Amino acid sequence: MNELEQAGLARLRDGWISGGAVFELAPAEWKTVAAAATPDEQERRLLAIAAQALDVALRPAAPRTLKRRPPLPVLALPLLPDRLRPLLRAALKHAADARRKAQVVKLVASRGFVAHPMDWMPATSDQTAPDVYAPWIDWQANSEGQRHGSLDKLTVENWTDFYPAARRVALASMRWSEPAAARLLIELKAPAESADVRLSLVELIRIGLGPADASFLKSLATDRSGKVRELAGRMLAMLGEKGDGGPDLPVNELAGFIEEGKAGFIRRRITYNPAKTKSHAQEQRRAELFELCNLVDLAARFGVSESDFITGWQFGTDNNADILLSRMVAASGSDAVVAHMADMLMAAGGKPALFVLHLMPRLDGRRQRVLIRQIIKDAQFPAALHLAHDIDAGWLDWDDVSNGRFLAVFRSGISANDDPTRRAVEDIAETIGCLATAPAAAKFIDETVAAGLPPASPSLALLRLNAALAENQSVQ
Amino acid sequence: MQLDLKTIEALAPDQASLGAAAKLTKRSNWPRLETHEQLGLIWGECQGSGSNPYRVMFDTADHGYKCTCPSRKFPCKHILALMWIGVTAPTTFDRVDQTPDWVNDWIGRRRKPGQQPAQPGTEGKSIDDALQPQESPAPVEDAAAAERREAAQRKRAEDTRSAVSAALDELDQWIADQLRLGLSGFVDASSERCRRIAARLVDLKAAALAGRIDELPSRLLALRNEERPDAAIRELGKLVLLAKAWRAAPDDPELKRLVSTSETREQVLAHPDAIQVESDWEVLGEKIETRRDGLVSHATWLLDLKSPTPHFALLLDFFPASAGRRSNAFAPGDRFKARLVFYPSRSPLRALVAERFGDVASGAWPEAGVNTAADPLAAYAAFQDGAPWLSDCPLVLPPGTIQLDERDAAWWQGANGPQGIALPVAGTVNQTVLGLDLTATAALWNGARLELLASQSSIGRLDLS
Repeated sequence: MNELEQAGLARLRDGWISGGAVFELAPAEWKTVAAAATPDEQERRLLAIAAQALDVALRPAAPRTLKRRPPLPVLALPLLPDRLRPLLRAALKHAADARRKAQVVKLVASRGFVAHPMDWMPATSDQTAPDVYAPWIDWQANSEGQRHGSLDKLTVENWTDFYPAARRVALASMRWSEPAAARLLIELKAPAESADVRLSLVELIRIGLGPADASFLKSLATDRSGKVRELAGRMLAMLGEKGDGGPDLPVNELAGFIEEGKAGFIRRRITYNPAKTKSHAQEQRRAELFELCNLVDLAARFGVSESDFITGWQFGTDNNADILLSRMVAASGSDAVVAHMADMLMAAGGKPALFVLHLMPRLDGRRQRVLIRQIIKDAQFPAALHLAHDIDAGWLDWDDVSNGRFLAVFRSGISANDDPTRRAVEDIAETIGCLATAPAAAKFIDETVAAGLPPASPSLALLRLNAALAENQSVQ
Repeated sequence: MQLDLKTIEALAPDQASLGAAAKLTKRSNWPRLETHEQLGLIWGECQGSGSNPYRVMFDTADHGYKCTCPSRKFPCKHILALMWIGVTAPTTFDRVDQTPDWVNDWIGRRRKPGQQPAQPGTEGKSIDDALQPQESPAPVEDAAAAERREAAQRKRAEDTRSAVSAALDELDQWIADQLRLGLSGFVDASSERCRRIAARLVDLKAAALAGRIDELPSRLLALRNEERPDAAIRELGKLVLLAKAWRAAPDDPELKRLVSTSETREQVLAHPDAIQVESDWEVLGEKIETRRDGLVSHATWLLDLKSPTPHFALLLDFFPASAGRRSNAFAPGDRFKARLVFYPSRSPLRALVAERFGDVASGAWPEAGVNTAADPLAAYAAFQDGAPWLSDCPLVLPPGTIQLDERDAAWWQGANGPQGIALPVAGTVNQTVLGLDLTATAALWNGARLELLASQSSIGRLDLS
C-alpha cells in the first residue's frame, strides 16, 4: 500500500468513526472500484477494501523497545521425561499446599530429575525447593534481565554477581566445607542487606554451628531486626550460651508454669512436671513463653543441665506442654540434647515417640529413618506421619512398610465410613508416596487398591509417580 | 491400549464426572469386567442404584463408547471409570474370546469413523440369524412419490435461498447504517446492535452468519480501546465480502457453511470435492469458547507432520454449554496417524477424522513443517487471497522469542534481530516462555493478534493454548 492509499485509509477510518459518507475522501483507485453504485453500496465497497488493507497490507507497529528476559537457566539435572509429566502434574495438582508440592519435586530430584518449568516453577520466595532449582528462583526474581558473571566461588568481590538463591546455595555449601570463610562472608556482607535477607543469611550459620560462631552471633545482639536478634539468641542457646540473667526475664515466668518434684524410692531423681493451667489465657501465655525462651536458660533456671532437664521432664502429663517443650528443644537445644531427647523418646516408644516429629528438622538422616520406621511398626498413630517435615525422599523399603501392623491398620482405615479416617488414610498414602522406594511404592499401590481404595484415587498420584520413576533413575 | 490418564481427563465432561468416576473404580462396583484384546474392546457391568447393572462398553481403538445409564453427560461416569480401570488396572479384566450379545449389538449398530453405514444382511448377524427366513425387501417407492419428494426438496432449497438472500440484504443495510451512525457508537453499543441483527438473520435462515455477528462484540472487547474501530472495520468489511461472495455463488459449499448451515458428517464424507489426507498429525492445541447462543465451540488444531509445507487441520465441535465440558479424544501434544476428510473449501482447514490408525511417537516438528519464508505472514496473505472473509489463519512461525513491551503486553519477535517482524500476542503468556528460545511456534493470526498454540523450544514442546 502506497503513502497516498495509507493517507486515504486514515481519512476513511476517521470519517467512519464519526459517521457519515466518506466516498469523496477515498484514494482515487479505490473510488474507481466503488463508483458505479448507490451511495450505501459505495460505502460498503470501500469498507471491504479498507478491511483487506488493514488485514494484509498494514502490519502492527512493533514498539521501539521490547524487553527480553534472560534465558531460563539450564539446571544441573535433566528434565523429567515427557511421558512422566502427566503423572507429575497429577501429583502436583493433588498436593494441597506449597509444602506438599515441595515434597513432590523433592522426590523427583532424589531420582535425578527436575520438573519441566511449564509444570512447576518455584516461587521467588521459595526456600523449600531443592537446591537444584536455585537458578530458576533467581531467574524469576530478576525481572530486569541483567546477566551476571561467573558463578565459580562466592567471594566478597563477586557477592553481587550472585542472585540471592544461588548465593544461599553457595554459602550453605561453604558452611559444610569452610565454615569460617562462609561466616566471614556473612559477617561482612549481611549488614548491607535487608532484614529478610539478613535473617536467611544468619540462618545458614546453623549449618555446622560451632563455638567459633559464638562471637559473631553475640555481635548480632544489637542487630536492628528483632527476628535476627532472636535467631542469633537461639543459636547461641544451641551452643550452650545462656542469656543475660535477670528477674524480669520471661524464663522466670515460664519456670512458674513448671513444678519441680522428686520421684523414685531408692534412687531419688528430680522431675519436672507442667503445672496445671487455670484458664485459657494462662495456657496461651505459657505457649508464648515457650516460644520466647531458650532451653539452656530454662534448664539453668532450675540449676540443671539441658540433658538433665529433658531427662526429668514427665512426658505424658500434659500433651500441649510436651509439644511446646519439643518445639523449644528443636528451636534452641544443642545438637547433643536434641539427639538425647530423640533417643530417649524413641526408646520409650508409643505416643511419646511422636513428639520426636517436632525435632525432625534437627535430626540426622539415620535418626529420622529410625523414627519413621518405628511409627510405622507401632502403627498406633500412623496419621502422625503427616506431621513429619524435611525428611529424605525415596528410602522406605517394602519390609519397613509390611513390618508390624501398619498395613492392617491402613486397610481398615480404607474401609472406614467416616470422613476424618478416610482423609487420614489419604494423607498416609501421600506420605508413603514421598518416602517409599519405587518398588515399595508399586507394592503399596497394589495393597491399597486391593484393600478397596479406588485405583484412580488422587491420593495415589504421588505413589504412581514414585513407582514410575523407578526405571528412569539417573546418576546424579 | 491407546489410552492413558491424560486422554481420560480430556474426555471427561467436567471435574465432577471425573470425581464420580474415581469412586466407581472400586472392583466391587463391577461384577463383570471383560476385554477382547483382538478387537480392542473392553466392557463391564457396573452396579448402579437400580436392580440391573449398567452395561458399559468402550472401544480402545477409536475411543467410542456406550453406556446404558440415563446420564446426560457424555461420556458418563461409568465410561470414565471403565477407561480408568483399563489404564490403571488392566489385569482386572477377564480376557475372553467372545463378545456378549449386548456388546455385539452395539458394535453392529455403531459406525466407526470412515465406515459406511452397515448394509442389511452383511454384518452384525449371527449364524442363527442367517438361518432365519430373509425379510422381504422394502417396497419400491413409486416414481410419482419420488418426484413429489424431490420437488418438495427443491422448493425448500429455493425458499431457504430466498430467505438467506433477504437476510443478506438486511445485513447490507445494517452495515451501511452502522457506517452512517459512526463506528464510535457501534463499538460502544455493539452488543445490543449485533444481537438485534443476529436475531433477524436467524429468522431468515442465515444461522451461521448470525452466530458470527453475535460473537463480534466479544472479539472487539478483547482488544484495547484504541484498536476497536479498526477491528470493527475489518470485521464488517469481511461480512460485506462474504455477502457478495454468497450472492455470486449461493451453492458454494464453503459459503453456504459460513452463511446458513453446515453439512452433516455424512455429506462431507460423501462429497466428491472433499480432500482426504492420510498422514501423521500432532494436536497443536485447543480453543474452547462459550458462545452467546449457549453453544460451546471446541476447536482442535492439528499439524500435518508429513507435509512439505506447513499444513493444518481444524476439528470443530459444537455442543450445548449446559451439557458441561465435552471433548474429543485428543489432548495437546498427542500424535496419531489418521485419514482426515476436509470440508470442501478454498483453503481447506476444517476436517473430520475419517479413520484413526494409532498413535505416533512424540518428537520435534519436522523442519519442513516450519515456515522458513522471509515473511512469516506470507501464508496469511495467501490465505486471505483465497478467502478474505475468514479471520483465523494457522501459521508456524520461524525461530523467535516472546518479549514484553512497556505495558507488559507480549509480542512474538522473530530471531532475525530487533529490526525483524514483531507480532502482538493475545492474552497473557506463561512467564517461563519469556526465558526460552522458540525454534518454531504454531499460532493463529487474525490480522491483529497471535493466539499461541504450541512451540518447539530447547526444552521440547510447550503447550501454549
